[in-house]
Amino acid sequence: MLNKPQDFKHPAHLHTLASTILHNLQYQHDWSSLSIHTHSTLNSLPLPRPVISGLPPKRAYVHPDEQIELVKAEHATRNTSVQLPEREWVLPSHWEEKWTLSKFSAVFNALENVPPASGDEQKETDSAVGWQWRGKNRHKRLLLATLHDDSTVIYYIMHDGIVKPRQN
Amino acid sequence: MSESFETPSEPVAISMIAGRYLLFDINVVTYLRRTHHICGVLIGSIPQIPQQNLFLGLPLELMPEEAKFLVEKEAAYIVDDHAWHKQRFSTLEGSDKRKYLDSLRSKGLEAKRIAEGASRKRSEHALAKQAAQRRRMDAQPEGQITSGDITEDAASESLFEDARPTSPTTSAASSKPDIPYGVTPTTSYSPSSLPENTTLQPTPLVPSSYPLFEHLHSRNYFIMPGLRFGCDYNVYPGDPLRFHSHFSATSYGWEEEFSMIDIIGGGRLGTRVKKSFLIGGEDPDGKTDEAPAVRTFCIEWGGM
Repeated sequence: MLNKPQDFKHPAHLHTLASTILHNLQYQHDWSSLSIHTHSTLNSLPLPRPVISGLPPKRAYVHPDEQIELVKAEHATRNTSVQLPEREWVLPSHWEEKWTLSKFSAVFNALENVPPASGDEQKETDSAVGWQWRGKNRHKRLLLATLHDDSTVIYYIMHDGIVKPRQN
Repeated sequence: MSESFETPSEPVAISMIAGRYLLFDINVVTYLRRTHHICGVLIGSIPQIPQQNLFLGLPLELMPEEAKFLVEKEAAYIVDDHAWHKQRFSTLEGSDKRKYLDSLRSKGLEAKRIAEGASRKRSEHALAKQAAQRRRMDAQPEGQITSGDITEDAASESLFEDARPTSPTTSAASSKPDIPYGVTPTTSYSPSSLPENTTLQPTPLVPSSYPLFEHLHSRNYFIMPGLRFGCDYNVYPGDPLRFHSHFSATSYGWEEEFSMIDIIGGGRLGTRVKKSFLIGGEDPDGKTDEAPAVRTFCIEWGGM
């Protein structure tokens, strides 16, 4: 019997799943400073399953309102702003799995808004355009990575709560 | 018309016919849309041309969720039309009967007045056009008229326009001004004879997605049926006539299992049509006294 939450071990297949997704992120999508979290950074309790955090090569998600602010600012200053990527959570899952709302909410409840910094990302000033939608102010989200048997991995952005869609 | 801005007094009556919740009064329809963000779906077509189904009219069918919401808010109550007709129609006599017939008659007179006004305007317009045409013809020397489209058009137009004022219906009607138009009533009772006791009506049975409906509606979203996008609801940030919908929403039970293909299919379709796929349901643990706790997630394609 395991007493301490630190000693908890997830089943091996979940670790395999996480490392396969990590491999895909690293070599197919050029993500950097990837790490696998087994315990919540909020309360050190074990996560429902290992979750990945990493830094994409470019912003993985821009809120539609933030995009409007950015376009306005670009128009006003006449120079294109550089969008620094933000760290993202990635939830590994398998094609054959069944999910429930309770499982998703357990994952979201155990995650912080923003994954812990690794030191690799560039710091931006607090007053940068669109700060209301970034960092600690952002809506809690993750990338839902789904692995298929043929090794395809697909990524969907999942928000906690009601977030209006992007105008893509 | 001044009537189109009439505000009906709450609670309004929702007719339940063959398990459907229907509204027959345009004032009620617009009022519910304005004040309660309840849209419903227009389902009435023209009896003789039922295949014309692009633009439908009254009656308006409400989703059971919408009917329940209105009943719970005490903005409306359900009338079982079949039972109420049976009960009322056999006992409809004396002053009640006269009042009902009078109301039909006044509606018929009103319809007639409007129709005659329109036809008078039409014939005045046609006569003015004709006169203008004649003036132009007189001004032109005889030989210059080429057998062009203008004369052709004018001739055919005047032929049709001329037919109107002399048509038997109009002339007969104008000679006997008291005969109202025949009006086919949408209900077999006058609105004043509706049941007094509105609390006894059962609340509508709703699908299990009702908590999600209520959750979104309470956040000022407009909700339409989701059939077109394979979901439970289409969710609009404002009136659907003005806004593109933001979400296609599907409700699940808290422990109800769904497969990844449902999430991916919904997310991909939603993103394709500039929406987000919203899944949600009632969290039995987070329940408070006033409202059930509903947890929602939005899914969009990741673009990678």
